[in-house]
Formats: sequence, structure tokens, C-alpha cells
Amino acid sequence: MNPHDLQLRDITRRHFFGKCALGVGALALQQLLAESGWAAPGGPVIDPMHPLAPRPPQFAPKAKRVIYLFMAGGPSQLDLFDYKPKLLEFQGQAPPPSLMAGKRFAFLKGNEKLLASPRKFEAYGQCGMTISEVLPYHRQIVDEVCWLRGLSTDVFNHAPAKLFMNTGFQAPGRPAMGAWTTYGLGSQSRDLPGFVVLQSGPRGPRGGSALWSSGFLPTSYQGVPFRGKGDPILYLHSPEGQTRERERDFYDTVGALNHTRLDDTGDPEIMTRINSYEMAFRMQTSAPELMDLSQEKPETLELYGVKPGESSFAANCLLARRLAERGVRFVQLYHTNWDSHGGPGENLNGDFEKVCKEVDQASAALVLDLKQRGLLEDTLVIWGGEFGRTPMGENRASIGRDHHVDAFTLWLAGGGVKPGLIYGQTDELGFGVVENKVHVHDLHATILHLLGFDHEKLTYRFQGRDFRLTDVHGQVVKEIFA
Amino acid sequence: MLRPPALLSSLCISALLALTIGASAAVPDKPGYNHDIRPILSDKCFYCHGPDEKKREAKLRLDVRDNALAEHDSGHAIVPGKPEESELLKRILSHDKDDVMPPPKAKKPPLTADEIATLRRWIEQGAVYEGHWAFLPLNSAPPPKVKNRAWVRNPIDQYILARLESEGIQPSPEADRPTLIRRLYLDLLGLLPSPEEVAAFVADPAPNAYEKLVDRTLANFHYGERWGRHWLDQARYADSNGYSIDSARAMWPYRDWVIKALNDDMPFDQFTIEQLGGDLLPHPTKSQLIATAFHRNTMINEEGGTKPEQFRVESAIDRVNTTGSVWLGLTVGCAQCHSHKFDPISQREFYQFLAFFNQGEDVNAKGATIQVAKGEVFGHPVKPTTAEIQSIKFPKKTPTQEQWERKELARLEALPPDKAPTELLLSLKIVDSTRDEGQKKLVNEAYAKAYPKAAKTGKKVDVNADVVDLMIMQDLDKPRPNYLLIRGDYTRPDEKGGPLQPGVLSAVSAAFHEAPREYRNRLDLARWLVDPQNPLTPRVTMNRVWMRYFGRGIVETEEDFGTQGTEPTHPELLDWLAREFIHQGWSLKKMHRLIVTSATYRQSSNAHPDLAEKDPRNLLLARQERVRVEAEIVRDAALSASGMLDGTIGGPSVHPPQPDGVYSFTQTGKVWKADTDGNRFRRGLYAQFYRSAPYPLLTTFDEPNFSNACTRRARSNTPLQALNVANDPAFLEMAEGLAQRVQREVPGEDTDARLRYAFLLCFSRDPSPKELSILRGYAAKGNDLAALARVLFNTDNFITRE
Repeated sequence: MNPHDLQLRDITRRHFFGKCALGVGALALQQLLAESGWAAPGGPVIDPMHPLAPRPPQFAPKAKRVIYLFMAGGPSQLDLFDYKPKLLEFQGQAPPPSLMAGKRFAFLKGNEKLLASPRKFEAYGQCGMTISEVLPYHRQIVDEVCWLRGLSTDVFNHAPAKLFMNTGFQAPGRPAMGAWTTYGLGSQSRDLPGFVVLQSGPRGPRGGSALWSSGFLPTSYQGVPFRGKGDPILYLHSPEGQTRERERDFYDTVGALNHTRLDDTGDPEIMTRINSYEMAFRMQTSAPELMDLSQEKPETLELYGVKPGESSFAANCLLARRLAERGVRFVQLYHTNWDSHGGPGENLNGDFEKVCKEVDQASAALVLDLKQRGLLEDTLVIWGGEFGRTPMGENRASIGRDHHVDAFTLWLAGGGVKPGLIYGQTDELGFGVVENKVHVHDLHATILHLLGFDHEKLTYRFQGRDFRLTDVHGQVVKEIFA
Repeated sequence: MLRPPALLSSLCISALLALTIGASAAVPDKPGYNHDIRPILSDKCFYCHGPDEKKREAKLRLDVRDNALAEHDSGHAIVPGKPEESELLKRILSHDKDDVMPPPKAKKPPLTADEIATLRRWIEQGAVYEGHWAFLPLNSAPPPKVKNRAWVRNPIDQYILARLESEGIQPSPEADRPTLIRRLYLDLLGLLPSPEEVAAFVADPAPNAYEKLVDRTLANFHYGERWGRHWLDQARYADSNGYSIDSARAMWPYRDWVIKALNDDMPFDQFTIEQLGGDLLPHPTKSQLIATAFHRNTMINEEGGTKPEQFRVESAIDRVNTTGSVWLGLTVGCAQCHSHKFDPISQREFYQFLAFFNQGEDVNAKGATIQVAKGEVFGHPVKPTTAEIQSIKFPKKTPTQEQWERKELARLEALPPDKAPTELLLSLKIVDSTRDEGQKKLVNEAYAKAYPKAAKTGKKVDVNADVVDLMIMQDLDKPRPNYLLIRGDYTRPDEKGGPLQPGVLSAVSAAFHEAPREYRNRLDLARWLVDPQNPLTPRVTMNRVWMRYFGRGIVETEEDFGTQGTEPTHPELLDWLAREFIHQGWSLKKMHRLIVTSATYRQSSNAHPDLAEKDPRNLLLARQERVRVEAEIVRDAALSASGMLDGTIGGPSVHPPQPDGVYSFTQTGKVWKADTDGNRFRRGLYAQFYRSAPYPLLTTFDEPNFSNACTRRARSNTPLQALNVANDPAFLEMAEGLAQRVQREVPGEDTDARLRYAFLLCFSRDPSPKELSILRGYAAKGNDLAALARVLFNTDNFITRE
């Protein structure tokens, strides 16, 4: 904690301990701190004994929670969303040198040729978004979604690019968007962590735990990975054979000893520890209850394409909705592997179709299900990867595409964005953005705005500097607000 | 300076006293530049009128007196003695939105009435500037006089007590002996004392019983592990390469070097020189080469398609930032993309500093290595120094799997093709990291068959072999041209600006009477860092040592001694410690002894009501602080209480039990086969550390992933910590071990005696009647000793140093 937090901790602790004759409530305390200039400049006022207690943002939010479907590896926008008939015309030719000048790629050697998508595209819905044949279920949500076709990023290797997409910085060590969100807003769930991470696909995302790290923010805001198998949270289950009743005895005994020590030492940190243990006890019931999909109706399972007992992206999407219903602030799903270079397991043919199939139905189902339950209006759904893929083919075992940072597609739904809006236009070959470019920093600024924060004012002082998700960049893209 | 903020004085003084320490408020009679003025200017003005020439507006800088007094387009910003004529005040008071400062676009709140009055008074009194305290030479004033001389044990106490007396606060009584020994063991060794140690100390009638205990503890070799871990945090030590692939690497000989150097009490100046420039010493010893692995703890990106140059530059920059934060306590990294906005570090200086680290021949790869054998760093087997410490074991020589594989491959290749096992031969030909699961299994099984004992220890990865290649520093013969990188981008060298020669920070050199003119390499840099004239290195180092003992540094922002950091609560004490450190020949152990034998350290940590009003944050140290122990120590404490600790020192990293599924979130799966021998119960600092997925306990208790230097860990308090200690089978195993120990050491059926003994093992004291009755109640419900041990491990007290 930085000194400011420590000071706040002391003040609020004294307050909650009733050692202050004032007798004002939590809200009054917040006001008191704000008036005195002690509310962190740009930071929220946090009750250190309940660091995840819900708190209001800086202005009225459009979105109260986020579900981020992270397509790890970099889906090919040219084979999914960004239809480029011109590529067919120039198929097999070298790209125009003017477009290649000064560009850097991860694997291309310089002799690669333009590659048209073999997929069929068609325009759907009132908005007329073109979607390729490999995402049939996406047709159902085409008018619910706000399509950003002009995304751009700075980084072309997976781990740094994923870090950049999550934390606004390409090296590990900064807080993830989910951590900033729970730092700013706390969580509405008393019984579950505020920031939950789920994973599906053949392997974990490159970048590992740094992708959902709280960085220099307190660990309370770190993403908690829920696993698909075994205990959803590490060490969730009591020792074998321990009944719930006996476990309550255990927690009560620990609590009684802690209270005794609190009386003897007067250290308020012990009270925080007592609260942590109580939440741990509640999580033992709430987490398995969350994971138990048998409570869902068969038609819901069918909508998502969930097969009971099987961990999958579909099951994770359904869990994301259940987490959102339970007040969890930020849910992030990682799905691998979109890294279609053309190597074994990564070709643009069958392998690509497979990963599309894994996510298509459930992605659409999540949007439809949230809508039908009235949750979509204040839940922001984000779908996208860390970068896009090149208009040139890459020659490996089969033809694939390399990483591309200058232009790719990402979509948003719900949470105050305009449904059925197509925003951003790339050039005829899909190299760059010619209209309405949205840089990663802009996306971050926009997401924070939807959550009720001025991205320049949600800050945390660390090592002498006020840090923020958008570093010193970021423009809110107001054009996409509903 | 216990002053209530004027704004709120009408609300509730008692509620707000908490706010006042460290906060500037009211208007001082004689505002000082460092204490009163710079914080205002730094916060509100320096961004546009400070050290960064790129952001500077109207060519005005307020951080330099000559410039602030000079005539600018709109007049003189400051006219000493004449606030009415000073443009600075006029602008701050202006109501015209085009004139007012800070301007609306800066999005800074306007200055408060108090701040304005403070500036006015300072200008009236002549606008005297002072250098930033941290850059000034060490103050050599003698320790202050105090009234209560009987309380003072050494000069540290004079500084602490003088301040307390001036505030009318009494120090706390000395903690009782059980608390003292547990505190000392946790602080110096990170382990719990045995009941015998506790009993001996409690009963020792000698007047210097405590000092004798301190000396014994400092001589214990676990000291090097405990304080070595603090250093390894700063060295961003890890057992893997980082980023996405994150393969295992063998850095453990460096870890062992640190432990050895600290146990030997290597003087800190030499400790610095060997790590930063050991390879550049004339005829370096092997140990000095191993020391340079300090800066090889940078990450390597093994992902396909990476540009090696990009990550080489990243590493070089990390070496600059790490050096800046570890020795100088400065956020040098800010100057990577632009001149520092608050501290006098220009972008050019950053790249001059980078020149020291820009010559490495390692380019996002292993680079120079040196072969080191297990135990070699220690030279000879280390004997335990107290009865309670278990034996040190140095495993016997057997060929490592890597060695065996080389031999076996040669043997099989020599066989006629039809006689050689094709699959095994093929698998051996592929390097370990690229074998598939089946191939790995085949090779491992063959090794296990040949050397069942060696294989059983689970050390199959070559990085854990008995002889490994340690990455060390080595510079190119022909130096690379070193350019400033525009916006910090490695593809944009400022060739027009010309190559930059190595150079140190002028703001720090300003404190030197005499500084060398030329700096050629890392060795020169290291010598500059530990030059007794350098005021930052001893201040920063002593501040961090202090922080480990009191939960907070004298400068709370231990990572930032620049102008944006907090001011020292006891500046004279910090300078005294820094001078004493140099005076004592840079001996860390002597400084530890000094601190832990002070009356200040020996105080009780219990809160008392008086303090809650006067100094709720305990900045003045009228008591000790209760501090939650670090991640590794949570486990080490349980290991020592249960008597299961394997005290082996050093060697390859180990694999304590870990649940399945830890790697379901990493790109590449890792093999983690829990050790079944003594390695299962080694100290936490030896646990194999993968940056992408560290041992869960460590992350849960705030250990960072060591992508960068960590100078101070967070101390969070979360439900995941509760679940970890309550349900991790490793802790249940230790609870079972504690139960067995109690049964073994307290024979008979006396439940109370057993409860007391279990309690003693965990807390080094007897339970209070209330605590005992709680434990009896739990036992009476049919809970056995292991269940009881589980309760004890989960108390706040267990993981807290009181």
C-alpha cells in the first residue's frame, strides 16, 4: 500500500472502531475525507477492512460490470469480420511497397504474398455487418453488437501484446483492467472475488498471471482464476471428511482466538483477518453453487451448447453470466488458440474452423441470454484478441497469417454502447485503418468511461507517480455510445 | 508537526488528528523550501515549470532559483521579499482563466488558502531555496539530547526519544522475553525458536542475555537465507525466463552466492562491486563471476517471432531501472522516454547511465555462462550453529540426468543401428525442452532405471542438475554505439545526437567533493555507488533495513527518494545510520545488531489509547509494529513449529507439494513433481519459482512475479490466504507433523500440557487463560491435536511478528 492508503487505512479503521466520538456513518466518512482532500486524488475512498465493498464511480455509469471474452492468439479479422474482396483480385501478388514501408512483423520474411480469405462473407441484419460463414451464430447478434473494425495496437508478440491489451503496458507489472475496475468500484458480491478469470482451449494464455495481476494495486484487486476441474478456487475445499458443522467450529475457534488477540494487542489488522476468514467460509458454499450448472434449464444449456460435466468455452460463458448475476464486477474468459500461422494445429483451415466452432455459439448465446434477463443493458461484453492478422499469407506447413497490429476487429455489446453500429474502416487490403481508428488506449479510456470513470482521474500513486490504465494516452470514443 | 488542517477544524479535531501527521497544513512561521515549499511547487507547478525541458512552458522553471528569479516574458516569477511583485503569486490568485495557475487544462486543483499564504511568507522571507534533502551530503550532527536518559540503549534511541519527548509521548515498555525471541527469530532467521531456545532465554539471568541471543542468532546460517531473500527480491531473482514460454533456468548458484555473502557479512561496498562489476575486476575469482548473475536475472522472451534486439534493449533498460531503484532509491525509469518531470534526471543522463549496461553480449539469450556445481559456492559443508537446527545435507555425487543423457546418447550411437533402441535414441537426440510427453517419459524412465536414487529426488530438469551453466555478465569486446532512444523506442536511436558515453547522475554527484571525471564501465559505476561521498546508497540501504524491522521505512516511499517521495520522519536518524554504516565498514550485521539491541526495537507492539490520538500511524515509533510475515515465512514458520523443516542450505530449487491445475492458466505446461524426500520440507525460498505461475502460496501472500525489482512487498489480507492456510494439504501435513511432535515430546495423556506445548511451539509463549479455555473447548468437541494445530496455524498471531 502506498502511504496515502496507509493513512486512509488508519483513519477509516479508527472510524470503524468507534474510537472517534463523531459517530458518523461510512458515507459521512467518505464525504469528510473528500472534503478534506484526503480522498485519493483520483482514487476511490476505500474501507480497508472491506476493500471490495461496492463504491460509486465518478459519474453515472452505463455499465456496472464487464464480461471480457479474450480470444487469445489473435483471431484473423480478415477471415471473420473484415471482408476484403480486393485481396482476391491481388491474390498471390506482393503487397504494395508503400503499405509495407516501416512495418514490422513477427515472422514474415518479406517475400510473402497477399492472401484472400477462402471464406464466404455476407451482410446480415439491419446494420449490414459482413460476417464470414465460420461464425453462423454471430448472425443472431449482429444488431446487438457494436463492431469496432479499426482497432490498432503497438505490440506484435503474444505475451507483450496481451499485457498491453490488459494493462496498457507491454511489460508485466501493471494492474489489469479488471484490477483497475474493482479498485474503482469494489464488487457487488460479498461471497465471491470481484475479478474472476476463466480459461478454456488447449493451453493457457501467453503471459500467464501477469495478465490479471493487480500490479502495484493491493492484491485484493487481483484476478482470481477459477478452474474448470477440481476445486474452482485453489484450496477451496475443507479437509476430507470434515462436515460443514465441524468446519464452522474450526472457523469459530480461529475467530475466537483472533478476537482475544485483538483485545490484547488492539491491532485493527486482526479485524480484517477475521473478516477475510468469514468470507473464505462463505466462498466455500458460494463457489461450488456457482459452478453447479445442473440448476440451469436444459434450454439454457442448449442455447450455449454446454455439455454437462465438460469444461469448455461454452460452460465458461454460462458461468460468466452466473458470475454477473451474483454481482461479480469483472469476468474475463480466455480461449486459446487463435494463432493461425499455418503450422500444425494452427492452420487456417480445419484448426481455424474448430476454434470458431468452439466460441461462436456460446458468444452469441451469452449476449442473447444477458439480454433476455435484462442484464445486457448494464453489462459490457467485450470480444477480441490481442492483435489481428496480416493480409499476406505466411508459408508454413500450410498457409496461415502472421500477427498484425495496425488493423483488427473487436466487438462490444451492452453496457451503453450503440447496438448495430459498425465503427471503423480499413483500407481495401486491410493493412491499415482509414477511418475511425481506435487504439488500445482509446478502448481502455472508453471502457472506463462506460463504467463511470474519467480515465485520467482513476489513478494510483506508486513510486512517486500517479499511474493510470491509459498511462498518458487515451481518447474516449464517444461516437459509439448509445 | 501535529497540526490539524484548518479547513476541518470545526468538524471534529479528535477524528482528524489522524490526518495531520505527514500532511502539510496551516501556515508555518518560517517556511522551509524542502519541507513546505517544494511539495507545493512539485505537485502544482513542476509538471510544466520543472526539470523536463520538453514540457516546459514559457521557459520558466521554478525548481531552479536563478531561473525563477530571472526576467521572463510576463515579468519575474519570484521577486525575493516582494510577494506583490512576484508573478507567481499574481497568477495563482488570478481570476482570469487565461492567466490563472495552474491552468484549467492542467486539471490540477487550485492551491489552498494555506498553500498560498505559505508561498507568500516564503517569498517575503527571501525565497531561499535548498537542495533536495536526499541529494545533500550526509548530515553529521551529533545525536540529540534527551531527558529520559535511562531509556536510551544506543544513539538510535536518542533520535527516537527526542522526537517523542518533543511531542509529549512516552515510549512503550519493553516486550516480554517470549515476544522478543519470537520477534528476533522471525526478523533475523524467518523461523520460530524451539521451546528449548525460548526457555533458555527466558531463564537467562545474565544482564546481557538479550545481546547474547542477538549474537547467537546473527551467527545462525539461516540469517543468510532470511536476509538473502530480501536481497533476491531486489535482484528480481526467479528460476524461469519469464514472458510466455517461461522455461526453467538455473540461477540458483547466484541465490546461494547471496546467502553465503550475507552469512559471511561481506561488506556492502564489496557486495555491490562484485554483483555489478565482478567480471571487470582484475583476475576475477569464480565467486565474483557468479555474483554478476545479479543482472542476469532479467527476463528472456523465448516466444517465436520475437526480435532479439527489442528484448536485449528491454533487459538493458531493466538493469538501469533496477540499479537506480536498488541503490539510489530513484525512479530513473521515468527518464527513459522523456526527462524526469520531478527529479533532476534528464533523458540524456538516462541513456548515459544505460551505456553501462548496453554492452552485454547476451541478446535475449543465455549469453555468457559459467559452470557451477552444487555446494561449490559454499566451499565446504556448513555446520549448524544452534542445537535446534537440523542437519545440513549435501547430496552425494551421481551423474545428473543431463550428464547421463550425453553419455547414453554417445553409447547408443556407437551401437549398430539394428541393436540401438530407436525411440530412445531419437528422444535423446532432441533437446529436453522440445521433447513431447512420450519422449520425455521414455528418457526419464531410462535414467531412473540407471540411477534409481537420483531419479527419485524428482530433479530431472537439467537446470536442477548438480552442475549447471549459470548466466553471468560479459561485455562485448567491441562496444555497441549507445544512442538516446527517442520515446524510449529501440527502433528510433537518436543518431543525430551522437553516441553517448557512460555517465552517472549529476544530481547525485553534486554531493561529492571530488568525483572521477571518467566512467568507463560497470565497475566504475559500482565504485561510484559505494563511494562514501554518495549520500543515496547508504541512506537507501539503511532505510530498507529499518523498514524490515519496523514495517515502514524512515522514508516511507523507500522506492522514491526523489522529490515526489515522502520526507523522512527522522532525517537525522537516517543520516546517522547511513554514516554509521560506512563507519562500520559497510557491515550489515553490525547495523542489524545496533538496531535490534536498541530500546526502540525492543518495545512492545501493543497499541495504547494515548497513541491512537497522538500518532495513530505510529510514525514516531512509540511502540513496535505488528507485521504480517512474508509469503515464504508463513510456510517456514509452520515447518519450524512442526519440526519438519529440512535445513539444507542452497542447491537446486525444490518442489514442495502443489495441487494439480496450477498450470492450466499458463501457455506451456510445467512438470511439477512434488519432492518426496527432505526437499519436500525445505524453506520457501528454495521453491522452484516460475514467473508465469509461481507456487500458489507465494502469490497469495503477495510475492510478486519478479519481472522487475521488488523493493517492498505489499501486505494484503484476503480470503484466499485464509483458504490457503486452512485447506492446503501441505499445511494439513504440517499440522499433522506438529501433532506428532507434541505427542512425542509430551508423553502421557495430559491434554492441557499438550495444548500448552502446541501453543508454545507456535507462539513461543504460554496461552492466556482465555486462549487456553478456547482451545480446551475445541478439543472437548472431539478435535484431535492435528485439528488443533490447524487452528493455531490459522490465527492472525501465527503469521504475525509482534
